[in-house]
Amino acid sequence: MENPIVAVDLSRAFGDIQAVDSINLSVSHGEVFGFLGPNGAGKSTAVRMLTTLLKPTSGTACVAGFDVVKKAPSVRKRIGVALQDAAIDPLMTGNELLRLQCVLHGLPKRSGEKRCKELLERVGLTLAGDRRVGTYSGGMRRRLDLALSLVHEPEVLFLDEPTTGLDPTSRMALWEEVRSLNQELGTTVFLTTQYLEEADQLAERIAIIDNGKIVREGTPTSLKSAVGAPTLRIDVSEDSLEAARKVMTRFGEERPARRNRIAIGLDRGTPGITDVMKALEEDGLEVHHVELDEPSLDDVFADATGRRLEGGQA
Amino acid sequence: MLRQPQSWAPGLFFPLLLAAVYSSQFSKAVDIAGFPFQNVSFLDFVLPACVIQGVLFGSTNSASDLAADIENSFMDRLLVSPVSRASILLARLASAFMYGVVQAGILITIFLIFGANIAGGLPSMISIVLIAALLAVSIGSFGIAIALRTGSQEVVQSTFPLIFVAIFVSSAFFPVQLMEGWYGSIAQKNPLTWIIDPTRRMAIVGFSWKDLGQSLGIISAIASLGIGISIRQLRRRLARAQ
Amino acid sequence: MSYTNAADASSIAVVYAGILRGFSRMRRLPSLMIPSILMPVFFVIAFSGSFASIVELDGYETDKAVNWMTAWAVMQGAAFSGMGAGGLAATDLENGFFDRLRVAPIRPMAIIGGLVGYCVCRALIPITAVLIVAFGLLHAEMPGGILGFVMVYLSGIGMAAIMGLFVLGIVFTFRTLKSLAIGQIFMFSAMFLSVGQAPIQAIDGWLHNVAAVNPVTNVIRMCRQGFLGEVTWSVTQPGLIALAGMMIGTSIWARIRYKKVDI
Repeated sequence: MENPIVAVDLSRAFGDIQAVDSINLSVSHGEVFGFLGPNGAGKSTAVRMLTTLLKPTSGTACVAGFDVVKKAPSVRKRIGVALQDAAIDPLMTGNELLRLQCVLHGLPKRSGEKRCKELLERVGLTLAGDRRVGTYSGGMRRRLDLALSLVHEPEVLFLDEPTTGLDPTSRMALWEEVRSLNQELGTTVFLTTQYLEEADQLAERIAIIDNGKIVREGTPTSLKSAVGAPTLRIDVSEDSLEAARKVMTRFGEERPARRNRIAIGLDRGTPGITDVMKALEEDGLEVHHVELDEPSLDDVFADATGRRLEGGQA
Repeated sequence: MLRQPQSWAPGLFFPLLLAAVYSSQFSKAVDIAGFPFQNVSFLDFVLPACVIQGVLFGSTNSASDLAADIENSFMDRLLVSPVSRASILLARLASAFMYGVVQAGILITIFLIFGANIAGGLPSMISIVLIAALLAVSIGSFGIAIALRTGSQEVVQSTFPLIFVAIFVSSAFFPVQLMEGWYGSIAQKNPLTWIIDPTRRMAIVGFSWKDLGQSLGIISAIASLGIGISIRQLRRRLARAQ
Repeated sequence: MSYTNAADASSIAVVYAGILRGFSRMRRLPSLMIPSILMPVFFVIAFSGSFASIVELDGYETDKAVNWMTAWAVMQGAAFSGMGAGGLAATDLENGFFDRLRVAPIRPMAIIGGLVGYCVCRALIPITAVLIVAFGLLHAEMPGGILGFVMVYLSGIGMAAIMGLFVLGIVFTFRTLKSLAIGQIFMFSAMFLSVGQAPIQAIDGWLHNVAAVNPVTNVIRMCRQGFLGEVTWSVTQPGLIALAGMMIGTSIWARIRYKKVDI
């Protein structure tokens, strides 16, 4: 059977701006796929195309086996969508929204009511069910949005920046929920995020998107090891900077770093740190601070685009 | 004013639409027994009221803007600046006046192009513009008082329908003499009637100092009441701010 | 248990849910209703009062202005209620809830139907309010009997639906609440450029020609006939044809503009 998400040269332009530029991807059954990129990279645009909300200007996409343009209704029956701005009506209560969703997906009344109860419990909103959604906190709204997207047990779940703006506890809770959905029900999950940790923690495979194009793709592990060497970061005083740089670059290629700091990719891997420290000591250079990091997705991003993702370390 | 056409364009659109429609569909109304003027077109009859209506629609703008300023604390900044208290109020009223003059001027010009006749010539035209603009200021001052009292743009804008009602229940669109019952008596006692009637006489019959005096007199009475309340509300707001 | 093989959502159920949703909104925000009731009630009082003596002229077929003006006020109230559909759609578009409706496996006409159904049901309130004021306060008469009242409600409901569909098309195009103002201008023009306040014989000039071809004219006549005399097929038929024609036209308009909601 076909893969649940397949995109071939999918593109979308808004006037002169190419928001999404010829992306190709294929997500397998039961996979959690992450779309990682900074704000404005084109993640939401791509998701809107895959969820039939936006027409591509060129290219094709098939979700759950159906073309998103030609067979949109069939796609909609089989996908669940939780977008960046929780798509809710603030004047309705949680219960009412769930019941409406049941009607929208053709669930018969009895089983629909049972389903609503289950879902509210699952996302921990049973007590808030009769309150107007306008009174919910940001985290509660996202959880309700997730519940709404699950009403009809979709084969494919699309989550657009599901934890942006949430506090750490809510974020963890949502990650747990996504994991259990994927493991218990085998739901294929397509999630977009600007948070490296989120992609690293949840996704089995990641595509890094920048300026509308996919610049890297693969499992987090393979992406990181492709970048190669771990990053060694050393802080020195400003007048020792150049000398330190000369020493360190003998042991590996320089990487972007902030002021008064030199970063290199350690060619020999982690054991090589002693060589570097010895060499710096021999030259009489005082080290204020040392960090050794295995490559992170941030390094992958920096390697692919020459920039750090927002919030990444340099 | 140039930056936000949507604030004054409807103010021009509706009075013009109404004037166009009424002059056509009620053209024979002038033949009704008891109609106070002879040999006039209905357009000439409604012209002064339409001009006043157009200007009044815009008068809520200055009050609405003031409420918006209060809402977003621009007012607080003004209050701590060395600008004199009275001038804050006067500035708003002056801009409302200018607004009114321009709008009335545009409306009269459009009406003239469409064949309206102002018997009193230039003096009457100037009088109409003056009366309309001053009326806008005096009614606007009540709006400003409400803005100062409530600080809410929504409340100010919800008073707009009241102006609409007040114009209707007057001699604006039809002679009060031809109205009946309790409706007619309310219309007769409406100060707007006492303003519109002399204005209309100047448009249809001819310019007259007496008519101008009557209109301006009543407007001044309204204005002094409105401005007085506004000043008191401004003082209250200042007291609260300190 | 998998729900992905559930039956296609019944369009009727979706429309019904849409109407219920509209009504629960009304209950939670009652201030929404107030202008749409007060405006037409004011119109019937003001027009019957200010223009009381207009019926002395030829063509009005009645000796009480209220008998002439009530239909006009009903039409205004119905049309204004119709705009409520656009208001709800615009709010949904602005806060993102519309995405949820679009991504559900339902026919677009079901979404549109729910919105229009809501404003049609809502229109019943101002129509009834106007009738109560007209008969209770202003001594209106209905020689046309029950059938006359049927005509009033029929034309009012039809007008509400037509205005609703029209404004939806505009809102789908601009996707903001402010675009309702454009709909308002069209609505007022369509209403005023017809026989709302005067019979066609009394109107002269360019307005006469416009009113003569304006389909709203036939609808207003159909609404008004019971107040002036018997309800006849010769007046009802053109009204029904006008309503049907405008409904079809505005439905197509709304459906076409819906396709362009592509954001």
